[in-house]
Amino acid sequence: MIERRDPPPIGRVVATEQKPATPHQFHFWTANETSIGIGAIVRVEGAGSGEQGAGKVVYGVVTDGFAYSDLATPLHDVVGAEGDPAKAADSPTVRQEIRLWTAAVLRQRPEEPLQPVPLGQVHVASDVDVAQALRMDAYLGGAQPTAIPVGLYTSGGLEAPVYLDADFLLGPEAAHLNISGVSGLATKTSAVEFLLGSIFQHFPPHKGRIAAVCFNVKGPDLCFLDQPGALEDEDRRRYERLAVPARPFERVRYYAPFKADGVNLNTLRTHPDLVSDVEPLVWGLREVLDYAEVLLNRDDIDAKADAFIDFLSDRVVDKEFDDGFGGAHRVLTFADLERLFRSIFDGLELSARGDTWRTHHIATIRKVRNRLSNISTRCKGLVTDDGPSNDLPWGRFEDRAVYVVDVANVDPLGQDLVFARAVSKLREHLERRDLGVDAVVVFVDELNKYAPGDGPETYVKKMLLDISERGRYLGLVLFGAEQFRSQVHRRVVGNAGTIVFGRMDSDELATPGYQVLSPAIKIKLATLPIGELMVRHPHFTQPIFVRFPRPAVLRGRDGVERFPPAADLPFEDAVARQLVKLDRRVRPNLVKDLLADRREEDVRRALAHTRQARPQDAFAHFKRQLGGRVAAAPATARESVSPLNPISDEPY
Amino acid sequence: MSRSWVDAILAAGVVPASYVPDASVGRSDLEEFTGADPVEDPTLRVHSLVGARALAPAAVGFLDGIEQWRVVGYAGVTPIVRAYVAAAIRLRGADRRPRTIAEDADELAITRLDRLPDAVRGALEGTGVRVVEIAAEDAAQPARALPAARVEVQKARAALERRLAEQRLARLGSDEWLVVDGVLSDSPALSAHPRALGVVKSHGAEYFEGPELERALTLPAAHRTSVFRPKRRGARREIYSWYLRLWPWEGNDLLYGLLRVEARAHPDTVVRASRISAWLVDERAPLATPDRRWDRLLYPIHDVETYLRVRAPRDLVSHPASRIPHPGSRLPRTGS
Repeated sequence: MIERRDPPPIGRVVATEQKPATPHQFHFWTANETSIGIGAIVRVEGAGSGEQGAGKVVYGVVTDGFAYSDLATPLHDVVGAEGDPAKAADSPTVRQEIRLWTAAVLRQRPEEPLQPVPLGQVHVASDVDVAQALRMDAYLGGAQPTAIPVGLYTSGGLEAPVYLDADFLLGPEAAHLNISGVSGLATKTSAVEFLLGSIFQHFPPHKGRIAAVCFNVKGPDLCFLDQPGALEDEDRRRYERLAVPARPFERVRYYAPFKADGVNLNTLRTHPDLVSDVEPLVWGLREVLDYAEVLLNRDDIDAKADAFIDFLSDRVVDKEFDDGFGGAHRVLTFADLERLFRSIFDGLELSARGDTWRTHHIATIRKVRNRLSNISTRCKGLVTDDGPSNDLPWGRFEDRAVYVVDVANVDPLGQDLVFARAVSKLREHLERRDLGVDAVVVFVDELNKYAPGDGPETYVKKMLLDISERGRYLGLVLFGAEQFRSQVHRRVVGNAGTIVFGRMDSDELATPGYQVLSPAIKIKLATLPIGELMVRHPHFTQPIFVRFPRPAVLRGRDGVERFPPAADLPFEDAVARQLVKLDRRVRPNLVKDLLADRREEDVRRALAHTRQARPQDAFAHFKRQLGGRVAAAPATARESVSPLNPISDEPY
Repeated sequence: MSRSWVDAILAAGVVPASYVPDASVGRSDLEEFTGADPVEDPTLRVHSLVGARALAPAAVGFLDGIEQWRVVGYAGVTPIVRAYVAAAIRLRGADRRPRTIAEDADELAITRLDRLPDAVRGALEGTGVRVVEIAAEDAAQPARALPAARVEVQKARAALERRLAEQRLARLGSDEWLVVDGVLSDSPALSAHPRALGVVKSHGAEYFEGPELERALTLPAAHRTSVFRPKRRGARREIYSWYLRLWPWEGNDLLYGLLRVEARAHPDTVVRASRISAWLVDERAPLATPDRRWDRLLYPIHDVETYLRVRAPRDLVSHPASRIPHPGSRLPRTGS
């Protein structure tokens, strides 16, 4: 893995009273024509046994560079050229120039006593030096190596693999990764895709099984992780150098809610060749009610609403329940719940028993009802009014599998709900150690939307904070991405053990969070090419620039070109396709005949039951669930709640 | 060698001293009138360089030397001087960047041996340092001893420069010139070489009087005088010379921007005087600042001097940037 090379000296440490060498920083000069630049790793050695610091080796990373000549003042150049810039270039002698570099110390060997950097020779770092400088030697070898390749450090014609420590990337020592960068360069997504592939390949066996849950929140970004992408020879060489196979993910499971029609999937992965891999994500009342807090905005958060939701959850849902007005209910679905609400409202109105039901004020009941009704309306397709749910395979997660939850086209409220529920379930199962894997990487893009630095304390933000601060003990690891790191909650980014930067916006770099970076590093970050990153990791005392190969998967925008999304199918065709997916023997024409004159709600319910049961004979099961043919009736409009007598000034 | 011989004589009983004479940082020219013979014109005339095509050698070596010295101790009232002389040639090629192609340095002790106690003399001779003696009558008087030592240092520096230059002449390329900071006439080889040039910045030696002197010293910028032949002075060889003004002197001083150029005594020199002068005018850029003599100091010569100074022993010069009193500090010593 490591190649030993001994490059010739490229510079010499200099120290003056104004610019002394310290234990943490030093300066060195090089020839004007040199291969090193900002981010280069160098090794300093006392050149001779007689020199101070002989025997000491210091590793540093270049953080700034200066060039100047012996020109005392610019005016002298003007005088020398007689005011003609063209003449200045024609001067017979080129002024003496210097390339002076500032480097931050990465490591000193021996580490004690910690002393100023010796004024020795400067060498370009070799593979071995890079490993030493970044303290990777601690986890590259040994009985249980924990190294995860993250990219190639390249400088001066040399390149060396850079590894992250799995114990510090995926827990338990530290965990979480945060990646920032401007949008549109595909760097953030590409980097995470490559790193996930690397993790899957190099996750230490002694740490068990690992999976990833990726929330696709925009476009087709993560919709083609199982499809090979175009790679160039340079990419393949980098894969080989990093010992990561250049191939797409072998096990990818896609989940997407339905569109409002309840049968067409709400994803861009609907090409006929691929759509069969997409599982519908459908949640019912129980799934939503457990996370109803997500649906409440800041103004809604009060003890009364909480208490009523708890009441519904504990006493009503999935139980025989008497509404007190003579009605018996067994609430399993939103439709059942709606019937209960109507009974309550009607009962209160007819019985003139005031404005309180079971100690809950009618305004509170109406507010909760509105919120729950709202989610079933705004997220129709994700939340089903009736019928069973279809969820991620809790307890049956596969090793090295990626679970993509596509919520790109879901209402923001629904996205919050999906995220909150999925992460909560992950945490629950990881706590019980029954998820099927020992660690899960959760990839969330647009962190500044879900965990903003300012704004209300939402349930999602609290959950992200909880993962950031406690997830590493559970194996729940957050890989977050955002355009503006400064706009993400400090505790979320602060708890990320590994920080990755792609090309950054100059305005963002001007914010206080980047004050520790030198102006040269900032300039480099502002102009970073695609495929290059700056990485901070607990073992690295300074940020390191690495290059990574483009991911071996099909990029989203290429994917939708190669696999154009199919147009929405007519209701009958979509149902037939769903059944064919469950059982290839199903004949679509028979399905269409069966559906003639059937109510869509009934069809959706039967389909959901069939999907949940996964019977041997899907058509027969579906037919049984659909029941006997009934007379065609016009579809009923969704019943609205009749207005109540004014009982208070609350606007619910 | 460094300070080892100094330590040896101090151990032998020499009273330590630390004195850097002002003159040790530079050198002076002799002040005398020698006269000159006309070569190019019957009387000294002014020639404009407008339209003169500058000579553009493919490569030019620039030679300069430095001298540094310090009184390191006294045996009685006899000073013992530690001197360092160095010279280098830096060659400027097509890339316009000077690179060192030859250099030499020497360290010497200057004193009067027979005025030293036996122990000190023995210690000094035992170290192997080259000892240069000043005259007995100069050694007897401290006020004369130091100027005498200074002359010896200058001689050592001139000899080193001459040796280096002559070595280089033997290997000078066909399109390569050697420009020396100072006179050529000290060396037979330099005086006779067709592509050796001496550039003299100090004008202690005067060759003209009356109107000719006025013409020489009031040359307009980018003008030269007629080529003349300085009258021989001591062992100096025959040479051709002319004055050249690099920068306008008006508003400054008569000698501001004034050079005297020396080249071999040959008709070709007269033919090429304007082209050589135009070349030297081109050498005004880049300016040799921050040196105070920048109006007359060619940048490549300044570059050689800088090179030599940074390589000279640190203990012979004070460090202007340091706030710490240097070894030559006049502050009283508080320890042994």
